[in-house]
Amino acid sequence: MSPNLVRPVLIGLVAAACAASPYLGLPAWTPALATVVALLAISLMGLNLIFGNTGMLAFGQAAFVALPGYLAGMLHLHLRLPTWGAIALALLLTVIVANGVGRIFVRLPGIFFAVGTLGFAFVVEGLARAFPSVTGGASGLVLDAGTTLSGDAWYAIALLTLVFALASYAILVRHGTARTLRVVHHDELAAAVAGIDVARVKVRVFTLGCAYSALGGVLLAYFVGVVVPENAGVSRSLEMVGMVMLGGPGRLVGPLLGAGLANWLFAVAGFAKQYEILVYGVAFLGTVLFAREGLAGLLEAAWRRRTPAVAAAPDAPPAADAQHAVAVADAAPTPAPRGVRLRVDAVAKRFGGVQAISNASFEVADGEVFALVGPNGAGKTTLFNIISGLEAPSGGRIFVAGRDVTGADVHERAASVGRSFQVARLVPEMTAAENVMVRLDQIAPATPEAAKRAAAHALLADFDLGELAHARAGLLSAGQRKLVDIVRATLGPPALLLLDEPAVGLTEAELDKLAALLRRLKLQRSAIVIVEHNMDFLRSVAGSGVVLHGGKVIAAGSVDAMLGDEAVRGAYLGAIA
Amino acid sequence: MSLFAQAVISGLMAGAVYALLAVGLIITLRTSRILNLAYGETYAIAGLAVSLLTKAGAPLWLAIVVALLLAVVFSVGLDRLFLQPRSHWPIPMLILVTLGVAFVSRGVLLVLAGIDPLSFPRLISGKPLRWLGGALPPQGLLLIVVGVATAIAATAFMAHTRTGRQLRACAANADAAQLLGVDVGRARAIAFAIAGLLGGVAAVLLVPLTSVDFQAGLAMTLRGFIAAALAGMVPARGVPAGLCLGLFESFVSTYVDALAQDPIVFVVLIGAALWQSRAIRHGGGLRA
Repeated sequence: MSPNLVRPVLIGLVAAACAASPYLGLPAWTPALATVVALLAISLMGLNLIFGNTGMLAFGQAAFVALPGYLAGMLHLHLRLPTWGAIALALLLTVIVANGVGRIFVRLPGIFFAVGTLGFAFVVEGLARAFPSVTGGASGLVLDAGTTLSGDAWYAIALLTLVFALASYAILVRHGTARTLRVVHHDELAAAVAGIDVARVKVRVFTLGCAYSALGGVLLAYFVGVVVPENAGVSRSLEMVGMVMLGGPGRLVGPLLGAGLANWLFAVAGFAKQYEILVYGVAFLGTVLFAREGLAGLLEAAWRRRTPAVAAAPDAPPAADAQHAVAVADAAPTPAPRGVRLRVDAVAKRFGGVQAISNASFEVADGEVFALVGPNGAGKTTLFNIISGLEAPSGGRIFVAGRDVTGADVHERAASVGRSFQVARLVPEMTAAENVMVRLDQIAPATPEAAKRAAAHALLADFDLGELAHARAGLLSAGQRKLVDIVRATLGPPALLLLDEPAVGLTEAELDKLAALLRRLKLQRSAIVIVEHNMDFLRSVAGSGVVLHGGKVIAAGSVDAMLGDEAVRGAYLGAIA
Repeated sequence: MSLFAQAVISGLMAGAVYALLAVGLIITLRTSRILNLAYGETYAIAGLAVSLLTKAGAPLWLAIVVALLLAVVFSVGLDRLFLQPRSHWPIPMLILVTLGVAFVSRGVLLVLAGIDPLSFPRLISGKPLRWLGGALPPQGLLLIVVGVATAIAATAFMAHTRTGRQLRACAANADAAQLLGVDVGRARAIAFAIAGLLGGVAAVLLVPLTSVDFQAGLAMTLRGFIAAALAGMVPARGVPAGLCLGLFESFVSTYVDALAQDPIVFVVLIGAALWQSRAIRHGGGLRA
């Protein structure tokens, strides 16, 4: 058999065995339990998307599992809608609620999001209890439409829906989308600088995740035949987080593994109801403390140990792709007209009583490498933050390529502003190439995956990093990480490139490579602004620049003249000496 | 009986509890930078411990001492065993750890205390005090006075003592504090001990007036968090914020509908959170 076929055949066999397993007479593993597990797994896949993939601390997900059941039941009971119509409308309403809640919650800082979702579950559970005439109160709302179906029919429905959920998840969360979610999970600021609209991504993820949760939830409610307030509550939500952790957060099959193991253990061990919370709690805490990758992570690690060849680097991109790759990497959307790329106009910034920058003005033209020098605390990084949109200026305006971007969000500027950081901000679990591709996903989303990969390779190969393109960024040296960060920022190429101390930590050879890259970008008419203390490197690449001292521009002109200036030497060396 | 006076009295009683919880939550948050979702468990543990011990025949004072000790040990143990050894972990993972501990605590309490709510005798009994047509049981007065005084004492400790300043230094920058000679482990132990004590005191004062069950912990964490959010996570504002929240809740419950209380308070939380995060872009105080 060809090695390409082994994997799909193996997966197919395992899936078939899993689907048939309830009929094999395993202890406690009945079609009814398997139906519950399959439907629960669909709900958990939504939480996995929100919490496992994107890292949002959604601690009230059960609310979105129980809500559609309640809504469908009430629509059927009180408005006499037919069952299917009620279910469809209930799902739609739940998704609308989730979207609204998501829009509000993603604006909140991390812990408020966690407590807000937790509170949402409290409220839904409380409302379900508080209005017995509408919701059935503490004893729950009976949904008897599903009782006419046989157990096997329900199992078939659950399996088909699960397959649909798994397939749609696998198609949705891969390539560029998977990378985007990972960067948002790991480093929201780096994500925004790479061009990701973090708030929008989070709202979409939350809405879509709640849609999965609602789909599994409404079917489960009809299968069980009743939905009770506890189904929406905090304990249930925590159990869901526990099962996602147990199965393996961010993994396709994690929710299925988590739901299957937890529910089967309960059934087979026959725990009394009162031990349920304790057992879930211990499993939850144990997974958080000792196995953060969950069961799926453990299985993956075991699989990797058994077949080391799988872990080896995928094939290098064929040479034919490389040409296309460079073309992709340099696919400036529209060749920018000649002229001023960056205009900083009377920009000021105050932090409380500290005037970090006052009345700074300068222009940088295309093809120019512009030095921004000054002692520590002069306001260089603050100015970078203002130009890239991480901080708003207290006064003045910023123009990039003729456009006033003063009020624009970070991600809105990303296509025309590339930026590297003093300390590289990469996702350590992603490979060097994937980290580079994150920017391509934003500025050239339509590019085929293979072309993106080839482009990232070609650029990394320019810096002799081709062999490390498949290495996880966390394993690279500080200098290598920095180069990857810089390579990412130059993709496009952007009209304006901001490099924050690019030379620090680089070897002589790497510096030469960097200088060559800057020269190439100059030919492509990017404007480049460099903050740097390595004067030799600056002299070799930069033509002109400004000196900042105490937030003020104290000198401007050619780099050589500037660095020779008495006042500049005083400010610089005096501050150091 | 005057509705208004009764609403004020109920509000102050609830507010004293929220003040205690808010101050405790803020102190741990400010020292460890971790939102301690297991914080409310100190309330549930202390409340259930006194109930079970008195039911088993222990004198009330002994039960209270043991319960407060348990709350303190739980709080400090949580930090020592679970949080401090993992201080290099990302904050969200540590929040998950506290959630896991809360979950386990819930499970243990359910097994030990059962599913039904429990209570214990009041510390002081007697005829309710009358005030402007409202009735205040002596235990309620004790709750308001002792609760508010304890919370204020804790904030004063944070603001005005050397140890308190060291605690705050740990929150600002644990490494720098360590270099300046602050024993970070000891400072955190003190902070979590104070927080545990406040949670325990809240239970001892409030539970005789109502009851407590195994799931009270997260509900209390949530309430304390809402008050803490209103206080802007500043310890000195914890007491006024707690009292305001209590009064607000009580007025909603009296004049609107008792059932509207939870949803409206929740909307207040979201509003407070939105107000505080108005200057923050994309979900977190991140800077380059």
